[in-house]
Amino acid sequence: MSWVQAWSELLSLSPEVPAWFVATLAIAFLYGVVILPSAVVFSYLDRKITADIQARVGINRAGPHGVGQVLADLLKLLEKGISRERGAPSLPWFTVHTMALYSTVAALPIGGGLILLDTDMSALVPVWACILLALGTMLLGLDQRTVTGGFGGLRQAAQTLAGSFPAIVAIIAAAFKAGSFQWSAIVQSQGALPHQWTALSDPFSFIALCVFLCGGLILLSVAPFDSALSPMELAGGVSSGVAGRRLTLFWLGRFYGFFFWATMTAVLFLGGWNLPGGLRSLMEGLGPNVVRGAEAACLISKSFLVMLAWVLVARVIPRLRSDQITGFAWKVLCPASLLALAGVSIWVTVVSG
Amino acid sequence: MNELKPVSVFSSILDYLKALASGAGSIWRALVTAMPYLFKFRSGDHRKEVTEQYPDPVSSRMPDDLPPRSRGFLQNDIARCTGCGDCEKVCPVQCITVETERGPEAAKTWISVFDIDFSRCTFCGFCTEVCAPNSLVHTRKYEGAVSRLDTTVKSFGMGRVTQEQRAKWAAVRKAQEMAEGGL
Repeated sequence: MSWVQAWSELLSLSPEVPAWFVATLAIAFLYGVVILPSAVVFSYLDRKITADIQARVGINRAGPHGVGQVLADLLKLLEKGISRERGAPSLPWFTVHTMALYSTVAALPIGGGLILLDTDMSALVPVWACILLALGTMLLGLDQRTVTGGFGGLRQAAQTLAGSFPAIVAIIAAAFKAGSFQWSAIVQSQGALPHQWTALSDPFSFIALCVFLCGGLILLSVAPFDSALSPMELAGGVSSGVAGRRLTLFWLGRFYGFFFWATMTAVLFLGGWNLPGGLRSLMEGLGPNVVRGAEAACLISKSFLVMLAWVLVARVIPRLRSDQITGFAWKVLCPASLLALAGVSIWVTVVSG
Repeated sequence: MNELKPVSVFSSILDYLKALASGAGSIWRALVTAMPYLFKFRSGDHRKEVTEQYPDPVSSRMPDDLPPRSRGFLQNDIARCTGCGDCEKVCPVQCITVETERGPEAAKTWISVFDIDFSRCTFCGFCTEVCAPNSLVHTRKYEGAVSRLDTTVKSFGMGRVTQEQRAKWAAVRKAQEMAEGGL
């Protein structure tokens, strides 16, 4: 069944609806039903877990146990005016940046029948999408024509270059293991249980997982690699000229990149959307939409686990300096990625036969 | 002059691997230190959050909890104030405005304006140190958030006087001087 049929079934559309319209609705659905709620939930979990580690209570005022705090912050940001001072990025430019960012939702490998882009090279498309996001962030900083924005943009450029190479090599290693760059083939080569995942099948694949995760988060400037845009660095860096509603979109874009990369990690290395055999057969009796929903839920849960595990590491180590980040990427991740690729190649060829 | 020791490729690779191991080890030790706070599997301080739930009255700090020499909002006892203006002169941010004139009594200055702009005050305490009659003191009040900027200015003065009042006072002072001169 093609993605058009799968999405038409899920959204209860007639078969005569054109594919471009189905794709538009699918992207809007993914953004509104998957990404936005995930951003709200993850923001809450991040703040509470960080508070726990730091012996603080954390957010607890808005709603029971602070569950309404994220919504309160969102409403507060939305009512703030846009800065018209020198340094604020121009509206057309910001609009282009945001549109480019969210057009990459089409490349999100969300589940079995629901992937919009499942071609022979589909595993590489999200990487280019994330590089697009990173370079857009760089241009956002440079467009501000201020010291803080310019330096933030340059740092982002350096991190984009440094992080993308090891990440792409790690994808090649995972695809070599699976025998294809196609998302569905990569997931089918793995199983639902941990010992069947690519990451735990051989030590070189585990190295590739670590390299992929670190390289991607350097590329996307996620903490502790966020020297380009953290509010505590360079008076905000790339985000220094962004305020109000645009700042909401900016931080949503940051979460989106993190979520995107964590989802790719789960698909490439952690079994993807595979459900255990017994559970799948139980779901199949309830209908195809239930199976698709369960697969997507399984994948999103793994993405969240990856993100929360990363948050734990990010909160216990200090933020790295920009030169430390690029030094780590070039001098550690690059050789490690090549070692992982060579090791996986030998393992697949010799050990697995 | 010290000669540089030649570095072999093997020792460079060894140093590289040692640096990697050291970095991974420091991250691991940091995680080991932080995890008891997250999962609270040790008793004692690890279970206790140090957050004070301000502004709940139960656990937030009361004025009595403040250190003894805390410098809160300023208060001027205008009856004791001599209007010397030393506080205005010493203030590093010029947040104090003092205007004086001759009052109805010859020995007493009429302090028509004594304004403190708390949006500029840094609570350094210099003004209270130079105050000779000790009329200007720090209170232990520390909550002063307001919605309008103009309400941050606190006035302790006795108020400006009109020209007629000034003339009356001048006449009173003259009568007093004549009475004292007569004595």
